Amino acid sequence: MAGGGRVRFNVGGQVFETTTTTLANAGRDSMLGALLDSSWNVSSSSSGDGAAAVAEYFIDRNPACFAVLLDLLRTGSLHVPPHLPEKLLHREALYYGLLDHVRAARWGAFDGDRLRLAASVPGRAPGDGTAIRAAPDGGCCVAHGGAVRVYNWMLDERRPVSLDHSQVNDAAYLDAATLLVAARERLGKRDDGGMAAFSAVSGELRHRFRVAHGRQAKSFTAGALAFDQDASVFASCKGRLNEYGIGVWDRATGEQADFFYEPPGCALGDADKLQWLEGTNALMVATLFPKADNCFIGLLDFRGKNVVWSWSDAGAAASHDDKRVLHAIAMEDERSVCVINQYDDLGFLDLRNGAGGVRWSSRSKLMNRKVPGEESCYPKLATHGGQLFSSMNDSISVFSGPEYVLTSTLRRSHGGAICDFSIGGDRLFALHNEENVFDVWETPPPPII
Amino acid sequence: MMNGQKKRGPRIEPFRHRVETDPKFFDKSWKKLHDAIREIYNHNASGLSFEELYRTAYNMVLHKLGPKLYEKLTENMKEHLEEMRTCVEAAQGGLFLEELERKWNDHNKALTMIRDILMYMDRTYIPTNKKTPVFDLGLELWRDTIVRSPMIHGRLLDTLLELIHRERTGEVINRCLMRTTTKMLMTLGSSVYQDDFERPFLEVSASFYSGESQQFIDCYSCGDYLKLAERRLSEESERVSQYMDVKTNEKITAVVVKEMLSNHMQRLILMENSGLVNMLVEDRYEDLTRMYTLFNYVPDGLTTIRSVMMSHIKDTGKSLVTDPERLKDPVDFVQRLLNEKDKFDNIINVSFNSDKSFLNALNSSFEHFINLNNRSPEFISLFVDDKLRKGVKEANEDVLETVLDKVMMLFRYLQEKDLFEKYYKQHLAKRLISGKAASDDSERSMLVKLKTECGYQFTSKLEGMFNDLKTSQDTTQGFYASASDLADYPTISVQILTTGSWPTQPCSTCNLPPEILAVSERFRSYYLGTHNGRRLTWQTNMGNADIKTTFGNGSKHELNVSTYQMCILMLFNSSDVLTYREIEQATAIPAVDLKRCLQSLALMKGKQVLRKEPMSRDIADDDSFSVNDKFTSKLFKVKIGTVSAQKETDPEKLETRQRVEEDRKPQIEAAIVRIMKSRRVLDHNSIMTEVTKQLQPRFLPNPVVIKKRIESLIEREFLERDKTDRKMYRYLA
Repeated sequence: MAGGGRVRFNVGGQVFETTTTTLANAGRDSMLGALLDSSWNVSSSSSGDGAAAVAEYFIDRNPACFAVLLDLLRTGSLHVPPHLPEKLLHREALYYGLLDHVRAARWGAFDGDRLRLAASVPGRAPGDGTAIRAAPDGGCCVAHGGAVRVYNWMLDERRPVSLDHSQVNDAAYLDAATLLVAARERLGKRDDGGMAAFSAVSGELRHRFRVAHGRQAKSFTAGALAFDQDASVFASCKGRLNEYGIGVWDRATGEQADFFYEPPGCALGDADKLQWLEGTNALMVATLFPKADNCFIGLLDFRGKNVVWSWSDAGAAASHDDKRVLHAIAMEDERSVCVINQYDDLGFLDLRNGAGGVRWSSRSKLMNRKVPGEESCYPKLATHGGQLFSSMNDSISVFSGPEYVLTSTLRRSHGGAICDFSIGGDRLFALHNEENVFDVWETPPPPII
Repeated sequence: MMNGQKKRGPRIEPFRHRVETDPKFFDKSWKKLHDAIREIYNHNASGLSFEELYRTAYNMVLHKLGPKLYEKLTENMKEHLEEMRTCVEAAQGGLFLEELERKWNDHNKALTMIRDILMYMDRTYIPTNKKTPVFDLGLELWRDTIVRSPMIHGRLLDTLLELIHRERTGEVINRCLMRTTTKMLMTLGSSVYQDDFERPFLEVSASFYSGESQQFIDCYSCGDYLKLAERRLSEESERVSQYMDVKTNEKITAVVVKEMLSNHMQRLILMENSGLVNMLVEDRYEDLTRMYTLFNYVPDGLTTIRSVMMSHIKDTGKSLVTDPERLKDPVDFVQRLLNEKDKFDNIINVSFNSDKSFLNALNSSFEHFINLNNRSPEFISLFVDDKLRKGVKEANEDVLETVLDKVMMLFRYLQEKDLFEKYYKQHLAKRLISGKAASDDSERSMLVKLKTECGYQFTSKLEGMFNDLKTSQDTTQGFYASASDLADYPTISVQILTTGSWPTQPCSTCNLPPEILAVSERFRSYYLGTHNGRRLTWQTNMGNADIKTTFGNGSKHELNVSTYQMCILMLFNSSDVLTYREIEQATAIPAVDLKRCLQSLALMKGKQVLRKEPMSRDIADDDSFSVNDKFTSKLFKVKIGTVSAQKETDPEKLETRQRVEEDRKPQIEAAIVRIMKSRRVLDHNSIMTEVTKQLQPRFLPNPVVIKKRIESLIEREFLERDKTDRKMYRYLA
């Protein structure tokens, strides 16, 4: 390009000068990339008659936003002046095809100990939310009664998704553009409830996941969802004729691939939590109090169709005050399962040997700061990047290191207890019980020095 | 404050903002884009402002005109492509592909620019409405408007196939053009490439190679045909790498393999005068390697080669082991087997990639034919005997070692290992006693090999034999040290053989000459004096002696003879002529052995110590013998061999076999008892199979013998028959 790689822009009357190197950061598939591409500059490149000739382009857009975006291309970091509305910036970024650049610079890599509250989004749906799920690109969705409300990463609401407005039990992002929804079957209806995949962008139904028993399609209630890294989607299923178990489908086509019928003593169809363990090649299934009287946690191997590991507190918990497991999550190293009880104690189950008991690490005395009269929620657990997260009442605790020491607490003064939270797309989303609000926590970009 | 008084101020009317979109907005905007696209297709884009066009398209999408824009764009591109189609259709002959390539490049370039203009639509309208992105839309339109148009579709395919055919027949074609064309088809999607090119290409190739193979198989030899097939395969691979999708390689290889090899597999492998058997016979390693590599592609190819090779080895092996000519020389017989084994080992290692399954086939073939001749165990033992005897040319121990290793291979093929053991023991005993064992190390190394193969119980006796020899030496030394007056007697060296360790034949002691008898009696009393409770029997059939002889003509020689021969010769110290009958009476040597000794003393060329009257080979009772006074020899020491048939004679063979059969009986019984002890109750058939299985490493037991052994065990009350089911046996503790 002529002019020693210098480029001049006149954006809405304001002149900017930059280099082709800076603009190359925009990529060929952006507006600026195309603008400078040789196919659009046949004449200027042929008449490059001197080093002084600097190409100038006129762009009929907002100069203030252009300044911010050009700065982003120059430095890789995003600085938005206080007077500039974010929506405006996003619109302009979309015009130039730089929205992904903005998103990438908007917040830093996830670190549970450096989270800041970035936004609080009020919900408009009546009643309590069931679940919140983070999308891989920083968006999220909130399951609310009969529908799932979908938000993009700019926290703009998209078209809500629903499966004939059946009660939603669980939702999961297969990828940024595909949302799975598990819903309850309603009595007296055929081909109702169950599971479906939707476009997270347009809210369109992609396909339903059906269950057949003995070659006959049956309606069912889908509970918890999970998927592996290849092609399979798993869901806990309850049929009307006691067809309880775990269904397996091909994620792309929705074809049923397998069905793991519930063996006696292993509650599968009612499971609260499914988690695929890639290293072990097994699915963790957890059916917990209060949905079931006895907690059951098991690992299913679909190749041999057997339960390769299991734990249950059947017979152990007699009275109401005994410690009951309320949530469970397999740790990232797939060596143990972390569980939590009603006193907010964390416990661990060893996956490598058989029926050992729960090793409780008691910290209830320290942490029990329950406000009397406030409605409480069952605690939830999550893991991310070697850190363990647990929600209790109105706060989320972050535990780090091999011994899982409490290192941070995320709390906000209003909104009530946290009923669910989810980590994904380098963000943490917490859904509150009251006011139907959800909080977005993100890690700020790294400090300059 | 102030305006409170004013009753009537200027009335502010709400501004009526009439959002009136220009009705011509779409048409105007579209015209702009439409003209620009035309310029782009006309290679005249230099005057266009990208920013303006991008903004125009952006505004159209922003005003919800996306669907209409998309529709118009599709229509417009189609028009341009139709124009291009006319040009391509008009191109003559060889220019057709070139014109197609040129238009494809034009379209690609234009498409990139159109995509640039409509980038905003690509990002927003298209994903939310599940439309095909602009670039892909352009490819689809190219596919439907040009590649699959009725006038071009067939012509394109025919041109490509024609060019490939010409290349196959040796012409040089423009590969670059081929590459861009197939690449275009691949860009349009793998299904387009497969449906519009690959499948017909494979079909045409199949018929081409089917024809070619028909033509060549009739006039080419197997080796040449395989060379051709190999060349064709590599040509096709190279062609694919030059201008096709890599995935086609596998498919075209399968086609060539099927047409050229699979379809003619039997005929090629079994081809007369040049097929596999010929290659094997003539050690044509290169051809064999080629055959192996090529038929590796063919399903069942290697299995067929293997089975043909197996039956060939079995046939040649069978004729080898059953040829009566070959049976005359056991050493040569075994050497031929070893050569055969070496030959096929080499072929498999060099040409068949040391394929395990081929080695197994080789082994099982050898196992099959070696056991066709029941004298194989004896011959193998004789071969070892020959190798381990003194005076073998191969003094090099390493060479000997490898030969022994190879012999062990043959040994493993034997079913009747116990028979071999029997013979080996005999031959070893002979070697040791006659002092003909070449090297102690080699003997011991062979012993170790046998030990690993057969286990401790077999070799323990052989080791006992070695030990006996060692202690005998010490004893003899001790004997001579004990008495000083022995110098007058002939020197004797005694080998004391433990009964049981050695394969002794029941021996009728001959009459020893009085000189010897005296000293041996002295030895007996010395030995029994030092070792209590032992018995000493003289095995006169096994010893040998050195005697100093002075012949009538005055020549002096030292003769090395057997003990029997010594006894005979000593008789001539007192008489000049003796008849056979007289000799027999005097010595009491068994007739067979005596005749043999006399034959070797009187009839061996150059070693005729005795003269026989009449001079015939056979010995009659009245034949007379006298010392040959004209005996001459260049050597001072003369060794008189025994006319000993190394091979066993027929009655001996029978005897050995009987003894082996006898030895097997307790082994079979032991196996039966072992099995029954653990199973308690078992039916007849199971016992038979289990006993056979247990004893297989040693020999194949005869079912009739097993049955007899069972009967015998029942008699001796080790077993009993079940009272209700006669086929069941019960173990009696």
